[in-house]
Amino acid sequence: MAKFIQHQIFYPNPPEVVWDYLTKPELMALWLMESNFQLVVGHEFQFRTKGKPDACFDGVFYCKVLEIVPFKKLSYSWKFGPGNGHKLNNSVVSWTLNAKDNGTELLLIHNGFEETETLPMFALMNEGWLKNIQKILHLINPTIDGTTPA
Amino acid sequence: MLHLLSKDSLTINALAENFDMSRPAVSKHIKVLYNAGFISIQDIGRERHCILKQDGFKVLQQWLEYYDTFWGSKLKKLEALLNDKTKNERP
Repeated sequence: MAKFIQHQIFYPNPPEVVWDYLTKPELMALWLMESNFQLVVGHEFQFRTKGKPDACFDGVFYCKVLEIVPFKKLSYSWKFGPGNGHKLNNSVVSWTLNAKDNGTELLLIHNGFEETETLPMFALMNEGWLKNIQKILHLINPTIDGTTPA
Repeated sequence: MLHLLSKDSLTINALAENFDMSRPAVSKHIKVLYNAGFISIQDIGRERHCILKQDGFKVLQQWLEYYDTFWGSKLKKLEALLNDKTKNERP
């Protein structure tokens, strides 16, 4: 079983534009999440979404900038868990941008997952939380399913 | 190996039959999986059975599935944003 997530997607925009959407908090908030991100190696920041206290996720992804290659590569650690001082689960998110055909091929790799003591708690929450996230996505961006009146 | 065990627990011999590997090689592989906490080994009668430890395994799988869906929808959203931007710039 592969223990990592990989997505590759082509955007018809130059890497400089895609880079802005990956590194400017006001633009990141439009498609990803609210955060206090700064483009500085070693900067610690958090992405905030809606948590679910009964489901062992506090709604915060705890991150630290690991690598910056302007317009080409960005990676940050990505920790998550139930909060309240419990041990967090580790992982790493890496973005690679390749200029191609007047656009950008964006590669996302989310890896470095480990088995930890807090992971089994997730079994209690899986389905409900997924639905919740879908709901949040629609709340944040109601036009995504095209049903919002103009 | 884990895929086979996800359907049923198997003896080491039965497992070995599914692979073109020597019995010692299979045993070594099983030991690695056992040390990683993916399987447990139980003596039932005279046979040693390998059993998939569902908890840790399934839970990690669930997180991976969650993040797969999560990033898939986020990247689609970014695509919609960038497409809008392109249209506005080149009317």
